[in-house]
Formats: sequence, C-alpha cells, structure tokens
Amino acid sequence: MPYLGSEDVVKELKKALCNPHIQADRPRYRNVIQRVIRHMTQGVDMSSIFMEMVKASATVDIVQKKLVYLYMCTYAPLKPDLALLAINTLCKDCSDPNPMVRGLALRSMCGLRMPGVQEYIQQPILNGLRDKASYVRRVAVLGCAKMYNLHGDSEVDGALVNELYSLLRDQDPIVVVNCLRALEEILKHEGGVVINKPIAHHLLNRMPDLDQWGQAEVLGFLLRYQPRSEEELFAILNLLDSSLQSSSPAVVMAATKLFLVLAKEFPHVQTDVLVRVKGPLLTACSSESRELCFAALCHVRRILRSLPGHFSSHYKKFFCSYSEPHYIKLQKVEVLCELVNDENVQQVLEELRDYCTDVSADLAQAAIFAIGGIARTYTDQCVQILTELLVLRQEHITSAVVQTFRNLVWLCPQCTEAVCRALPGCEENIQDSEGKQALIWLLGVHGETIPNAPYVLEDFVESVKAETFPAVKMELLTALLRLFLSRPAECQDMLGRLLYYCIEEEKDMAVRDRGLFYYRLLLTGIDEVKRILCSPKSDPSLGLLEDQAERPVSSWVSEFNTLVPMYSKACWAAISSLQVSESRGLEAMGTGVLSTSGSLVSENKEELQPLSDSGSFLLVPNGQLTAEQFEKTWLSLEVAHQEVLPWQGVAHPDTIQTALQMVNIQPIALSKAGVQPWKAYLSAQDGAGCLFLTELLLDPEHSQVHLSVKQSQDKTEALNSFISVLKTVIGTIVDIKS
Amino acid sequence: MIHSLFLINCSGDIFLEKHWKSVVSQSVCDYFFEAQEKAADVENVPPVISTPHHYLISIYRDKLFFVSVIQTEVPPLFVIEFLHRVADTFQDYFGECSEAAIKDNVVIVYELLEEMLDNGFPLATESNILKELIKPPTILRSVVNSITGSSNVGDTLPTGQLSNIPWRRAGVKYTNNEAYFDVIEEIDAIIDKSGSTVFAEIQGVIDACIKLSGMPDLSLSFMNPRLLDDVSFHPCIRFKRWESERVLSFIPPDGNFRLISYRVSSQNLVAIPVYVKHNISFKENSSCGRFDITIGPKQNMGKTVEGITVTVHMPKVVLNMNLTPTQGSYTFDPVTKVLTWDIGKITPQKLPSLKGLVNLQSGAPKPEENPSLNIQFKIQQLAISGLKVNRLDMYGEKYKPFKGVKYITKAGKFQVRT
Repeated sequence: MPYLGSEDVVKELKKALCNPHIQADRPRYRNVIQRVIRHMTQGVDMSSIFMEMVKASATVDIVQKKLVYLYMCTYAPLKPDLALLAINTLCKDCSDPNPMVRGLALRSMCGLRMPGVQEYIQQPILNGLRDKASYVRRVAVLGCAKMYNLHGDSEVDGALVNELYSLLRDQDPIVVVNCLRALEEILKHEGGVVINKPIAHHLLNRMPDLDQWGQAEVLGFLLRYQPRSEEELFAILNLLDSSLQSSSPAVVMAATKLFLVLAKEFPHVQTDVLVRVKGPLLTACSSESRELCFAALCHVRRILRSLPGHFSSHYKKFFCSYSEPHYIKLQKVEVLCELVNDENVQQVLEELRDYCTDVSADLAQAAIFAIGGIARTYTDQCVQILTELLVLRQEHITSAVVQTFRNLVWLCPQCTEAVCRALPGCEENIQDSEGKQALIWLLGVHGETIPNAPYVLEDFVESVKAETFPAVKMELLTALLRLFLSRPAECQDMLGRLLYYCIEEEKDMAVRDRGLFYYRLLLTGIDEVKRILCSPKSDPSLGLLEDQAERPVSSWVSEFNTLVPMYSKACWAAISSLQVSESRGLEAMGTGVLSTSGSLVSENKEELQPLSDSGSFLLVPNGQLTAEQFEKTWLSLEVAHQEVLPWQGVAHPDTIQTALQMVNIQPIALSKAGVQPWKAYLSAQDGAGCLFLTELLLDPEHSQVHLSVKQSQDKTEALNSFISVLKTVIGTIVDIKS
Repeated sequence: MIHSLFLINCSGDIFLEKHWKSVVSQSVCDYFFEAQEKAADVENVPPVISTPHHYLISIYRDKLFFVSVIQTEVPPLFVIEFLHRVADTFQDYFGECSEAAIKDNVVIVYELLEEMLDNGFPLATESNILKELIKPPTILRSVVNSITGSSNVGDTLPTGQLSNIPWRRAGVKYTNNEAYFDVIEEIDAIIDKSGSTVFAEIQGVIDACIKLSGMPDLSLSFMNPRLLDDVSFHPCIRFKRWESERVLSFIPPDGNFRLISYRVSSQNLVAIPVYVKHNISFKENSSCGRFDITIGPKQNMGKTVEGITVTVHMPKVVLNMNLTPTQGSYTFDPVTKVLTWDIGKITPQKLPSLKGLVNLQSGAPKPEENPSLNIQFKIQQLAISGLKVNRLDMYGEKYKPFKGVKYITKAGKFQVRT
C-alpha cells in the first residue's frame, strides 16, 4: 500500500464505509472497521467518520459490534451531539435476545464518557441488574459505579444501594464481588461498603466459589468486620485456613493480613500465622517474576521487625543470584543483615564480602553498610573484613568503609583501636562528600591515637580552596579544632590558616559563620573550648534509635499488603489526600521518624551534648527503681511541680523510651500505644542522689500532656534543671512527630 | 483499581494504551522513563514508582514493560500478579508476548483487555473461559472465517460462567478421554568456587492437561507426598483431603492448568546433576588470561543430561576470547561481553570442555572478580526430587480415561561461582 497521510486514510476509509457493496459483504465490512480501529490505536484522529461508524453498529455480527463500540467509547466525548445517535442503537441492543450483546451494549454505554449520558443509561442499568444472564448482571453492577462517577457529587441513590446490597446474595460469584466493588466506590464518602455479620458470613461461605481476584478482594473487605466473640473469630479463621495455602500470592498476602488483624488480641496466633506463611513467602521470594519477588522481600523485611529470627534458618534463600536486578539485590542485602545469628554469621559475612566487590557501586556500598550493621553485634569479624576491603583502594569502597567505621566507633567503642590502625592511607581514595566528612570526623575525634592525623588534615586544609562541598569544610573546622585541643603543637599553625581562609575568603555563609563562631570561642579561653567541644567519643545508647527494638506485629499490620512496604508512606499520604484518615497520617509520621533515624543521630548528637555535659546538673544512669519501690516512693511524696505541655497524636512508647534513656531518665511503666488514657511513669536520679519521679498523662482532646514531678529531696534548682531536661526531650519527640 | 495500562518497548515507545476509567495522559509515563534513565540498566527499573498523582506499577516481560497506573491504595502483589496474567494471556493467544505479535493482533488485544478488566477490576482471566469469549487467531481459522464469514467471537455465552463450579463449564464432551500430568522440576542452585553447594532447592510444578467428559472427580496420590515442603494449590483442590490424607482430590478445570506448585528445600535432598571444573585466571599487568572449563555429570540417577548451555558474563575489560570447545559451539559477543557455549548432551566417556585464551584491554587493571557461570540443562523422565505419582483414580463418570504422567527436570537459576 502506498504511503498515505492520515487525512487520505480517513477519506479512503470513509468512502469504503459508505460503499453499499462493502456494507453488503460482511467480512469486507468488518475488515474496513478493523482498519479504522487499528489507525485509531495508533493515534490517527478518526473522529470525522463517527456517523458512518454509528451506522455500522446496526449489525448482527458481534465482532463488528464490539469494534464499533470500542470506537464509540473513544470518540464520544469529542462528538457529544452525534453520540446521542449511538445511544439509540445501544439502547436497542440492551434488549437483544443474546446476553452477550446485551452485556456489551450496556458496558459500552456506561463507558461513554460524556456529560448528559446518565439519563439514558439509568433505565438500562436497572434492567440489567435484574437480567437473567449473569454476564449482564456483572456489567450492570459495575455500571452503577460508573454512573455514580459520571454524576459527580450528586447524592447517593438509596434505592440503588439497597438493590446492590441485595445482589450480594446473587448466585454468580463475580456479581457478588462486583457488588462489593461498586458499593465501595459509590459509598466512598461514607467510608465504603459496610460489612455486618450476615454479610461477612455470607461472603465467607462463598469464598470457595470465587476466583483468585475475588478471594483477594473479599479478604480485604472482611478486614472491616469485627467478630463479636472469640468463638466466632476462631470459626472464621478456620474457614479461611485454606486461603493461606492458595497458589496465588495475592490471596495468601490478603489472608495473612486478615489473620493478623483479626487475631490482634492473640499474639501467639499471629506468630503461628507468620510461621504458616513462611513457606509461601519464601516461594514468592524466589519466584520467576522479579516484581513478585521484590514485593515479597519488602514484606519479609516488615515481618522481620517483629520476629527477628524468623527467616534465619533460610538465610541462603536471600543470597543474591548474579542475574537478578539491582532492586532485588539491595533488598536481599538488607534482609541478610537482619537474619544474622551465631550459627550463620560466618556464611552471611562471607557472602556479603563477595558483594562488596560487585561491579555495581550501589550494591557494593549497600553490602558494606550491611556488614557495618552486623558489626554492632559481631564487631571483631566485621571490622577485620572491612579493613581488608581498604586494600582494594577503590573509591566507592573506601568511602563506604570509612562511613561505616564512623558509625561503628560511635556505637561500639571497643573497636576504636582497630579502626584507628586501619585509617592511615584512606585519604588518597576518598573523593565524595560523605566519605570525606566521615574520615575528617574520625581524624578529629580520635586524632590523638592516629599518628599522622594532623598531616592528613593538613592536606585537606591545603586544598580547602578547591573543596566543593561546604559540609566537608564545616566538618574540617570542627575536626581541626578538636585535634588542636589534643595535639596543639602540630595543629596551631594550620588552624590559624584555616580560620583565616574561612573568615576572609570563604563565600559560603554557613561555613564562614562556623569559622567566626570557633574564632570567638577560642577567644574565650581554651578551657571553655574544651568544655564545649569535647563531648563523649561514643555513646552506644544512641544505637537504640537506630537498632529498632522488636516491634509488635500490630505496629505494621495496617501497612501489610499495601504499597507502603515498597514505598515510603509519606509520599502516598500526599497523593491520596482524600482518603488520609487522621490515624493513617500520624502513622506515616511515625514511620518517617524511624526511616530517617540515621540523620536523627547526628542531630541528637549535638542537641543532647549540652544536656549531659552541662556540668552543674547531671542525671546518672543507675537511677533504676523496681516498680514496687517506685510505687512506694511515689505515694509517699508530694507533687513538687505540675505543668501542661503541648502534644500531638498518639504516643509511641518505643520512641519515647529511647529518647528518655538517652538522657538517663528511666521509664518505669508505659501504656501501650493508643491506649486511653495514656500514662507513663518515669524515674531519674541526679549526681547528688536526688530522685525525680514523674507522671505523664496524655490528654488527646486538647493535644496536651500533663506533667507532674515529685522529688525525694527538696532542691528547687535541681528540680528546675530536671524539668528543663524533660521538656527538651518531650519537645524533641513532638518535633520529630510533626 | 487499575486505572490505565501502557505497553512500552525497550526503546521507550508507548505502543499501546488502554484506559478503564478516565483517560490518563501518556505524559504520566515520563516518570517511568525518568526512573529508567536513573537505573543504569533498563531491567533495573523498580516495580513501583510514585508520581505526584498516581502510582505506576510495572512488570518487565519478554523485553516489554507493562505499566499500570494506580490511583488508590492497592495490594501490590495483586496488581503484579494480574499484569503477569495479562502477559500470560497474550503469550497463550499469540504464541509469544512480543511487540510485533501485539501490534499484529491489536484488535484482539483490545477485546481481551476489555473482557479481563471492567472499571479497573479483574473479571475473566481463566484462559478457557476467555477462549470461549474471544477465539484466538490461527492461520487456519482466519482463512476459514474469510470464506464463511463467521466471526472471531463466540456468539453464545460461555457456559462455564453459569455452572456452579467456576473453573469448569458444564456439558463437556470428548470422544477420547485423556488426563495428562507433567511433573516439572527446576533446580535453583548456587555452587561456590570449590564446588560445594552454597544453596540449592527445587521448585516444582504439576501442570495438567485434562480432556474428560462430564464432571469427573479425580484423586491423585503420590508415592512420597511428605517430600513436598511447601505446596500451593489450584482452587479446585480440596484442601482438607490433602491435610488429612495427602491426596489431591479435585474436579478439574477443562484443558490446561497448573494443579500444584511446590518446593523441596532441605538441601541434602537436592541432587546436583552436573559439576564444573573451572580455571579462569587473569594475569597481573598482562593483556591475556586463561579460560578453561569442563562439565561432567554427577548424581543424575542414570539419566542423560541434555540441552546444556553455559552463559558467562565476562568482565568489561575482556576484548575477545580464543577458545576451542571439544564439543558443541561457542559464541562471544564483544559488545555485551556474553560468552555462550551450547553443548548439547554429556557423554560420560568424553567430558565436554572449553579452553583457550582471553584477550584483555591493555593497560586496564585486572578484573577483581571472576565471572559466574549460568548453566541450563534438562533431564527427561526424571523428577530430581524423587517425587513419583502413585495412582490416579476417577469417580463420578463411567468411562475409562487414558492417563499419562511425564517427568522433566530443568535448571532454574543455576549458577556456579568461579
């Protein structure tokens, strides 16, 4: 065929469609229509032959009808006046003796996306709901949802909703599921379809008849039903038992979520369920479909939060295979890091060691960070592996190793010596900002044990003009000042040069201000500098924030089998703003806290130093009381101070506990998250042996927390200091939340 | 649930789109392309991408991306599984799931998508029900149709949708009543440098092809059902029977379907049917290296290992390879650096080997890691786990069916590290 411009094509097809000879010859007629559709799908504008196509729909040939309907649905919004003609034909087809034609016509009519069509489709839909062919009923039920969407904000038709509820009892399983889907859309402003006891049990009984999609969706709807009694609950779980064994991962996941939610009062049942789905999950993790595999891995990570050792015996399942895409490998490395125990640590480390030299820099770095994570428990082995990696002199590897070292030294001080021995020489192989910062920090804080530390820093000072990252310059200032305190002779000269450069020549304001700040600090005298700058060199308690302690299943179950494990929730909340209920939003913030805990550490580091180092007031860590002792003391004392602080949202005991322990305040008893009224009892002791007992009472209605403090010795100054510490901590928690 | 679907080929052309609710502009795919650019390799695009107003969930199959647009919170596995089902259906209808096949059959593709989803919800996805609604294209049929003028679509309702058992239509009739079962096992394994097994497991499936009249009720029993670790079932199987008696009892769908899939993962049960002796080395400061691999049979229960192919992704610095195979033929693609050695059968008397020299880019540092070997093979008439079907009984119908069971073992992700 000679090449024709789109206009010529349209003209030619139009002529063919009008040709009575072609119209009389069914195969030829259909052929022309197929060509129209083909061009349409390739994006050629075919709307100008709408008239001819509408005529072509008056045929007994069902394929031709289907094609014409497809055409009409695409172009109806462009030609609303002509589309009304089409509606006539469609209405007639809705009472065709062939159920397939009726169904097709009804579906196409509901698919005409143009204003004013509702009044024409209402009656055919209502007729369709009572059609004797299930095929038509299926279409009609979903048609109700489409009609509602066309209406926009208009009121929900009560009679229609009732009709749909009654159709939940339909013979055909797909009609049942479609009813749920349609009701969910129609009632979305009222919270979706209501699942009461009769409906729930009806659906449970129909489960075996449904196809996998139906089963998965019904399991999702059943989440809304709350069994009245324990017996009923276990009866339901028994009925659904086989769903956990389905061949469809979607059904297995939906069933798992339902089990976990229903059994929220029975932690042992939850654990049992997770044990049961271990097999199906592992199968999905090694599925042929890489996407399924990825989704399953994301969920495995969720489960590991509550049951850390859950997959440990299957750790080999999570070894990366060469041909897998990166996103799977990265997930597997993360999982491996969490599976480590005494028995498999050797094998896992060897495996991770192999990934460290992978061609992909991302994977290599992820593997190094994973080893760093394992190093918190198995320090010596990991530090040795990491040290060996430095020999390779690869930029991305060295940078990641040094960053890992920085975190390790902070969390596990016992490895400081080994790290300091490994550091010399690294500076030649680090180019990126993160790596440089880590190296400079290490040199600054532990410079007195690294012989050539001043000389390495000197090189950085020499090339500071060429340095492109302001963060590196800041780090350099701090590190050099710290090193100056321990090795003044070697550093004085270059510190002067660096300060001069930062104050006189530097263009970045933050760096200049930091330089000025240090300069003025130095003017106040060396003791003052020492007091402010020399904080503790490690603080393992901070690890609590990073190493999330075991979390109850209920903390993540609402996110199970959603997109959240695969993508951070915060993004999703922004997208579907219409369905963000308050509780969800708050949870999003909760996860936000934990996912950014890495950066929190560095912030808290600086924020909390003044607290613990202020000298005049210090809380000591051994102020631990038993619950009985606490109660006795509490009752015997008078309230010394009462205050009301602002508070938002639910309390997350883990976060609070962790934050409090960082400043040596010991929680004695905390209510579970979400319990009303939420209360917490805290104890602390200062250097002078004075006890502080505190009660926190949450008042969610006014977004406040009531604070009452009792004191064992009457010291106003200490009391005020304690309250200011406590307020800072609570302030920090609230800040994190918002 | 699923708002729209875009099909995108490897060079980034959107060649098909279908919308079930309102029309979403093609520009939404720009976010996908952006992610593709960020990932070094096209295959590394993450399956879930967020955009300001939608989520994109995509799968990658046969060099095509199926990108679905999602507007509300959905269970991700549900969507991923459904997209794979769409791809499976295309494969089933057109013999291959390729851009050319889809473009050639674009009209059928639209018909299929229309039936598979309505308003974004999955409707008919069972292959045998779809095939009654829309006849697959065959050369013969299109010739016949053009002569007789009969249509491509069944003009009656598929009866299966009206029977009480959703997966089986009523009134099935065959002159030859047959039931075939294929036990297919794939070995996934990672073998380390020294030849010991790092990880091995068997993924097995039993695919059935049942052509039986009426409403047959089958039960299938195994010699050693305890072998199966983790089994998932077709909805037709009565779960309680399996739990109590370890017998598969079911009323089968008509035609081809997957009866069960299972896993055998305790490592001592997984036999490794081949071994590889390898010696791959690159000299420091020299532009050549040595390559020498030999493959031999091991634990193959007396059956022949056939269809062996070895694929090696060589390091980037490899320029070319001069090798001599004792058996089969090899190719090396200097652009993708992929070495493929097609061996065929192993005869234990003379083990196939491939040796020679590797030319490296001069001056480049020696590769840090040796490449891994990916091995493909097949063993006929053997289920490597040792699984055996004991007997198949039929109730509910009077005739005597013809029964057959076939076993086959294949390599899945079988990888040898060097």
